[in-house]
Amino acid sequence: TGPATPSNISDKVSESIKAAEEACAGDPVSGECVAAWDEVEELSAAASHARDKLKGSDPLENYCKDNPEADECRTYED
Amino acid sequence: MAICTVSTSHSLHSTCYISAPTRTTAHLGFHQRQVIFYTGGRRSARRGGIVPSVVTCAAGGANTVVIGLAADSGCGKSTFMRRLTSVFGGAAEPPRGGNPDSNTLISDTTTVICLDDYHSLDRTGRKEKGVTALDPAANNFDLMYEQVKALKDGIAVEKPIYNHVTGLLDPPELIKPPKILVIEGLHPMFDPRVRDILDFSIYLDISNEVKFAWKIQRDMAERGHSLESIKASIEARKPDFDAYIDPQKQYADAVIEVLPTQLIPDDNEGKVLRVKLVMKEGVKYFSPVYLFDDGSTISWIPCGRKLTCSYPGIKFAYGPDTYFGKEVSVLEMDGQFDRLDELIYVESHLSNLSTKFYGEVTQQMLKHADFPGSNNGTGLFQTIVGLKIRDLYEQIVAEKAATPLEAAKA
Repeated sequence: TGPATPSNISDKVSESIKAAEEACAGDPVSGECVAAWDEVEELSAAASHARDKLKGSDPLENYCKDNPEADECRTYED
Repeated sequence: MAICTVSTSHSLHSTCYISAPTRTTAHLGFHQRQVIFYTGGRRSARRGGIVPSVVTCAAGGANTVVIGLAADSGCGKSTFMRRLTSVFGGAAEPPRGGNPDSNTLISDTTTVICLDDYHSLDRTGRKEKGVTALDPAANNFDLMYEQVKALKDGIAVEKPIYNHVTGLLDPPELIKPPKILVIEGLHPMFDPRVRDILDFSIYLDISNEVKFAWKIQRDMAERGHSLESIKASIEARKPDFDAYIDPQKQYADAVIEVLPTQLIPDDNEGKVLRVKLVMKEGVKYFSPVYLFDDGSTISWIPCGRKLTCSYPGIKFAYGPDTYFGKEVSVLEMDGQFDRLDELIYVESHLSNLSTKFYGEVTQQMLKHADFPGSNNGTGLFQTIVGLKIRDLYEQIVAEKAATPLEAAKA
């Protein structure tokens, strides 16, 4: 498993699911219900993209972006 | 290409630069070129304050090739984009120093813009009206057309940013005309005006079974999600998807269909896939890939002495077909690779790949072995389409360079 979703997005996803379940309790085909589930999808996709961003980050690479002159980071072309 | 201010030069290669407030609809005219930008008054008013809108243009040197990529949310658009930009070399990154939630990716040759940025209703607005983001009523196709057209003509635009985290429309960012512009999202081929601008279009067609399996993989670990919530979300969006998104595939020059495998009976894990690359015949600058013999119908199982395959193996198919009444060539791969380097064996039997050297497809796939789909047909066909787009771009640029010369001779 990869990194966890940042908590601000994670909270929004679970809130939106609750809201969608409530919105659909009355009328499952109403525009309100459909829009609420669409919001769930949008936030789930945002959560997945946020996880992907974290996945690509290597601690040493991050450090070297800020400190290219450090011993650990210096690279020479030839 | 020379860069100068609007007042200095009337040469063909002049680049002009104009600033205007976005609070009102701005009519900007310069030289022989007239550009009208609609900026939603309601939206900019909410932002508060006057945001300067900058418009630059590069007349004459306009060479932007525009590619459209359509797919539903969570169907691998971003993986495809990373493979595509990699073919052109250089990493694609968000605009430097701009909005951290910008959806744009910029590399040396390619700029990818996400069409969600043309939402006319933000998240609250859609909820109030009871419409989804898939609904054309939630999108501003006039602005989409104006800005994509301007970029194609070599004019920079101030494009809005739809923030996927907050669900709000953020202040715009400056997009300069790139060599290759990719517009990706739900509706790149929906509006006929935008469709006509596209030099090439791709549709990612994910079958319902696979979509469900992928979303389970994506969302199951997410707090609050369950099988029921994932299913409910797909079901709720389906009527709009079928009405507004799916019909766009008939206009695509290439369609990548992702289906459940036929090698394993009753498979619903969505890990082994049958992937079809549907390529339209007779598209200018695009000649479809073929297996062994152009125009024949062929079924090929490469597994044997030269290619190691474990269960369930690999099966290729190729042949002519019709798709929405148009002639197409279809290349299909079912199954997955165990060892990616053996892909070279498959590559050596495919023709018309538009590679620059023998083994380029395999090399591109190995470069991104960690991307989803690298061991099956999704990664293979995305890479092939990437190479076809590079070929198309080079042909268009070569032809444009030749045209003025011929005109001068005559």
